[in-house]
Amino acid sequence: MQYAQSKKPSTWQHFCILLRKDLRREFRTREMLTSMGLYALLVIIVFGAALALTARGVDIVSMGGGLIWVLIVFTSLLGLGRSFSYEKDQGCIEGVLLVPMDRSVIFLAKAVANMLFMLVVEIIAVPLFYFFFMTGSETSSTFLWIIVPLVLGTIGMAGIGTMLSTITMHTRAADVMLAVLFVPIIFPLLYACTTATTAAIIGSVAWMDYFVIPLVIAAGFDIIMLLVCWVLYDFVISS
Amino acid sequence: MNPILADIYSTIIPSAPYLIAAYALIWLVLLVYVAFVVRGIKKTEREMAALELAIQKEYAADE
Amino acid sequence: MSRSGGSAEARSIGKPVKLPDAGGWQDAIAVPAAIAGAILTTAGFLMAFLWAAPVNGAAVNGFEMIGDTVVTHQQLISQKIFYFHMPAAIVSFFSLVMAAFYGVRFLMTREQRFDTCSRALMEIALLFVIMTMITGDLWTRFEWGVWWTWEPRLTTYLILMLIVIAYFVLRNAVDEPEKRATFASVVSIIALVDVPICFMVTRLIPSSVHPVVLREGGMSFDMGVTVLVVLIGMLCLGHALYRLRFRALRLSERMEALKEALDERPASHYPSNVQPTIAPPVATPSITELANDPLPDEPDPDEGKPATAVRPNGELRPNKGRIKGEYPTCLLR
Repeated sequence: MQYAQSKKPSTWQHFCILLRKDLRREFRTREMLTSMGLYALLVIIVFGAALALTARGVDIVSMGGGLIWVLIVFTSLLGLGRSFSYEKDQGCIEGVLLVPMDRSVIFLAKAVANMLFMLVVEIIAVPLFYFFFMTGSETSSTFLWIIVPLVLGTIGMAGIGTMLSTITMHTRAADVMLAVLFVPIIFPLLYACTTATTAAIIGSVAWMDYFVIPLVIAAGFDIIMLLVCWVLYDFVISS
Repeated sequence: MNPILADIYSTIIPSAPYLIAAYALIWLVLLVYVAFVVRGIKKTEREMAALELAIQKEYAADE
Repeated sequence: MSRSGGSAEARSIGKPVKLPDAGGWQDAIAVPAAIAGAILTTAGFLMAFLWAAPVNGAAVNGFEMIGDTVVTHQQLISQKIFYFHMPAAIVSFFSLVMAAFYGVRFLMTREQRFDTCSRALMEIALLFVIMTMITGDLWTRFEWGVWWTWEPRLTTYLILMLIVIAYFVLRNAVDEPEKRATFASVVSIIALVDVPICFMVTRLIPSSVHPVVLREGGMSFDMGVTVLVVLIGMLCLGHALYRLRFRALRLSERMEALKEALDERPASHYPSNVQPTIAPPVATPSITELANDPLPDEPDPDEGKPATAVRPNGELRPNKGRIKGEYPTCLLR
C-alpha cells in the first residue's frame, strides 16, 4: 500500500510550511525589514531633534528605556499593519483558508514570523539607539538584562498585533484602526516592560524589585493574551 | 469661629466647586446619553413614517 | 441581566437558541429599576452628605467638640465624590463583563441579536467609565492639585476608556454585519481580559499613590452602607438604560429588516409588463426619496397582465396595472 505520499500533513508541518512561506517571501523582497529598519532609524532621528537640548548626561539614562519602547511600538505597528496587507492584496489568504487544517496554526505561524521580524529590527534598532544617545553616559552593569523585557514584550506584541491586524485588514483605514486598537490593548505589557527596561538601564540598588515584578506580569500577560488570541483567531479569520 | 474649628473645616469651601461639579457632571453625562438614545429612536420613527408613506403610495398607484 | 440556562441551550446542537428580544422580564423590570435607581441614588446622595461621617484629613493642632464627638483632624468633604466614583467604576466593569459574555454567546451561536446586546452593554460601560473618569479627575484636581497625573490607576481607566472607544471606532469601520459582530465580540473579550491585568499592573508595580480603600482596613459601616445603596441604585439605572438602548437598537434593526424584505419581494408579485431583470437606468431612490415622490398619474388600463397580484402581506388584490417605468424602482432591486 503506497499511500504514504497522500498522508495528511501534521499540524506541525502546516506550521512550518506557513512560517517558511512568510520567511521566504521576506528573504526575496526584504520589504518588511527594510521598511521597518528605515522607519526605526527615522524615529531615532526624530528623537534626536526632540532631545537636541536635553540628551546630555544622566537624564537620557532614565529616559532611555521609555524611548526604546516608543521606537519598538511604532516600528512594530508599521510591520504588523503590512503583515496581512500583501496576503490580502495577492489573494494568498484565501488560498491558505482553503486548506483543511486547524486555523489557529495560521495565527501561530504569522505571530512567529512577525515576532522574528520584530526581533531582527530590534537587534538593529536598539544598538543604533545606544550608539546615538547613550554612548556618552554611564550605564549600569545590568544593562544587558534589557534583553529579557525586550523579548517578552516582543512576544506579546507580535501575538496581539497579529490578531488585531487580522481584524483590521477587513476595515476601512486599516492602519489607523490597528493603532487605535493596538496601543491601548498592549498598554499593560508596555508599562511593565518599560519599567523593567528602565530598571535594568539605571541599575540602582533595588533594581531587582522594579525588574522582576514587571517581568512576571509581562510573562503572565503574554501567556493569557496568546491563549485568548489563539482561541479566538479561528472566528476572526473565518468570518 | 475659633482657629481650630476653622482649621478643621479649612478644606471644605475650596473643595466644594469640584464636589458640585463632579455630581453635576455625572447627571449631565446621564442626560446626554438619554438624549443620544432618544435621537436614535426618533431616527427610527422617521424611517418608519417614510416606509408607511411609500407603501401607501404604492397602493394608491395600484388602485 | 443574563438569561438563565441560555448557554446550556446553545451547547446542545439542534435546539433553537433563545434569543434576547425586547419585551421579556428584563424589560418588565426596567421601569421599576429606573425608578428604584433614581430613588436609591438620590437617597445615597443624601446619605453621603447628611449621614456618612466625614473622613479625617491632616491632624489639626488641637481638638474641638462637634456635636458629641471629639474632632482632631481636618474634615474632608472632597471625599464625598468617592460615594459615586466607586459604584460607577463597579457598574462599568460589570457592563464590560456582560458585554464580553454576550460576545461569547455571539461567537457560539452566530446570532446577531447577541451582538446587539453586547453593543448596548458596551455603550453603558462607556457611559459609566466616563462618569468614573470625571469624578476621579475632579477629586484628583482638588486633592493632588493637578488635572492629570500618570498615576497607574488613573492610567488604567484611561486605557479602558480608550479600548471601549476603539471598540466603537472598529464597529464603524466594518460594513458587513457578520464581520462587524465577530470583530466586536472578539475585541470585547480581549478588553475584558486586558482590564484586570491593567489593574494588577497598577497594584503590583511600586509607586502607586492611589488610595486603596479596601486594602487599608476597609470602609466604616456608614461609608459601606452608603456606597452599597449608591451601587445598587446605579446598577438599577444601568439596567434600565441598557434595556432602553437595546430596545431602540432592536427597533431600528427590525426596521432595516422590514425595508430589506420589501425591497426583495419576488418579481412574481408585480405586473408582468415590469421586468425586474431590465433595471431602469435611473439611480435607485431610497425609500425616503420615494416617499417624497409625487403620485404617478392615473394608469392606463393595460391589456394582457395577470388579473391579480399579491399584496406584501400575502393577500390577493385585483391588478389595476401600472405604467412601465414609473414603478418604484427600489422595490424591484
